Amino acid sequence: MHIPDGYLSPVFSIGMGVATVPAWARAVRKVREVLTTRTVPLLAIFAAFNFTIMMFNVPVPGGTTAHGVGGTLVAIVLGPWAAVVTVSTALVLQALFFGDGGILAIFANCFNMGVLLPFTGYWTYRLIAAGAPLLSVRRLWAAAIGSYVGITLAGLAVGVELGLQPILFNDGGRPLYSPYGLAAAVPTMLLAHALGASIVEAIITALVLSYIRQHHPEYLTSLKAVVAGAGADMGPARQRPVWQLAVIGLVVGAPLLLVAGLVTGGGNVGSLFGADWSQVDWPGVGSMMLVTAGVGIVAVPIVRFLLPERFKSVGTAYTVAAVLAPLGLIAPGFAFGEGSPDDLMKELGFVPSGLQSLSGIFSAPLSGYNLPLPWFSDANAPLWHQGLGYEIVAVIGILLLGAVVLALGRLLRGREDAPGGVVGGTAA
Amino acid sequence: MSCSCHSAARGRVGWLERTLAGIASSIEQAVFTEEHARRRGWLQAVDPRIKVLMFAAVIIAASASSSFGVLAGLYLLLLAAAWKSQLPFELFVRRTWVGIPFFAGIVVLPSIFFGLPPRLFDVSLGPLQLGLSLPGLYGATVFVMRVAVCVSLAVLLVLTTRWSDLLKSLRALRAPQVFILILSMTYRYVFLFLHTMNGMFEARKSRVVARPGGREDRRWIARSMGALLNRSFKMSGDVYAAMLARGFTGEVRTYSTYRLGMADWLALAGAFAVAVGAALVSRWIR
Repeated sequence: MHIPDGYLSPVFSIGMGVATVPAWARAVRKVREVLTTRTVPLLAIFAAFNFTIMMFNVPVPGGTTAHGVGGTLVAIVLGPWAAVVTVSTALVLQALFFGDGGILAIFANCFNMGVLLPFTGYWTYRLIAAGAPLLSVRRLWAAAIGSYVGITLAGLAVGVELGLQPILFNDGGRPLYSPYGLAAAVPTMLLAHALGASIVEAIITALVLSYIRQHHPEYLTSLKAVVAGAGADMGPARQRPVWQLAVIGLVVGAPLLLVAGLVTGGGNVGSLFGADWSQVDWPGVGSMMLVTAGVGIVAVPIVRFLLPERFKSVGTAYTVAAVLAPLGLIAPGFAFGEGSPDDLMKELGFVPSGLQSLSGIFSAPLSGYNLPLPWFSDANAPLWHQGLGYEIVAVIGILLLGAVVLALGRLLRGREDAPGGVVGGTAA
Repeated sequence: MSCSCHSAARGRVGWLERTLAGIASSIEQAVFTEEHARRRGWLQAVDPRIKVLMFAAVIIAASASSSFGVLAGLYLLLLAAAWKSQLPFELFVRRTWVGIPFFAGIVVLPSIFFGLPPRLFDVSLGPLQLGLSLPGLYGATVFVMRVAVCVSLAVLLVLTTRWSDLLKSLRALRAPQVFILILSMTYRYVFLFLHTMNGMFEARKSRVVARPGGREDRRWIARSMGALLNRSFKMSGDVYAAMLARGFTGEVRTYSTYRLGMADWLALAGAFAVAVGAALVSRWIR
């Protein structure tokens, strides 16, 4: 995520200082207000700590390694303003001494990782943790999600900065600096972080915080108050942060989906995910949604009431999924790899002959995920008829799968797990 | 952060070995740098405040230039300066090219197939029109060259200036005293932490017989990070106590005995002339 020199125009690089330098000045004043002379060694040593944890290689499934930034962790423990100073110091040290990140680009790098990251991470953490007791599980989730959002946003900022270069600085269409526009740079950086580095950072932040809570809980109360001047909140609330999670999920998920849709749709809003949305019969969709909602309101409570305690939550969840199944009918086109030869004919203009001959051999009793009755699957049937058919087929499918899983469970019960491979002690 | 992994053994090199190698190479780099900054070369003799201004001017000129000729000329001047400063030539070239400019080349590679016409050939691949574009190729070359010049300049500055001098020279750029103090202390403690971390990782490596799963490994890493955090708190308390005991009142005083000589002013004038010249020539020569 460290931008080297030469990727950004010098005007842009130095211009970023307009955002970064005041943040630094305010951070130093803010931290000094609280503790006049105690600040210097604390910030210096935490900057060194920050530098060091950027060197920890973390094993990632798939055999490679990644490493975190730790900005959100320091922001949670010391407060966001202190994190601005420590992360920036570590970044300056890396740029001046180890050649990580450019010298002119220092303002941009410090803005992304030293200002944006700790603040978004910290505020997301505060939002989700709001009032939860210091030792609650909710705080761990808050830390994980906060660091995830922080790094993803920093990655997005890098994408925007790089993507602005060919727009702002070109010579008659020939890009002078980083050559990729917003349409390429933003999704690349956003997705690369959202699906990779951010997950590692989230896991590490949560694990380290859980270690601190367990062994040094005093750091989560007194020190933050000392350094950032903020009182540590020890509210009595003890519930899962359901709506906050939903909000965060929406805020993070919706832009990601939009970007993914734009990328697959070739940048055209009218054809998100490469589908032609003008073909959709919206009134039909509306009546189908109404019917679906009605079925859900009736069926879900009944199922919940009827099911035995063991299956209550699982069964309800699957019922909700079955009720929601017809939503897939809205999307125009067919899912890739699932189309029937007729769909292929429409789409490609021809049908591979092998496919034509193969598809006749096995015709599933519930082909097209619908009931083979004209009321449900006739081509001219209203959309809500099809929707009901989908729901019934979904229920049948879930029951069949459940039966298979139960039968397998019966067969395997009583057998011992395969011998595990974990031997050896750990020590530090 | 770019990963400079020197894998000693072929085959499976895990996170532990990689981290150990990273620590070793950081320390090695620091020692190496200090050694070269102590030599009696041309740039080492220039006043650090002047040197920072010189390099700032040339870096700005280089990143503002989009002419291959000017960038190549600047690189030649740079090589001459490195040679006059008694830096091992081959090592300097390798250290600056293997890494960031090489990576920049990979990053910029796809863009040459989407550039403006004239193109050497055209291949249509679905909705995409691929072709080796001549302006795209030129732009990519300039881009890589510019990144290389900037990186070389930064490396040259660091290799010829001792860390303490570099920090003092930042004061010439009006950086606040507190920041410089924090930076210098951070630099000091980075090596202490690297040492501690090295100990932790070697202890782990020498005590674990089997290959635990990723889950267990991540837990161990989190625990050692937490332990390091605890140590940071304790250490900052100790250091503060030691500072108080030595009369620290919150005010920072440094002394500097630097005096600017004629050679310093000449070097500064030369660097500014190069920067201005590069900016002017870039307008005419593409």
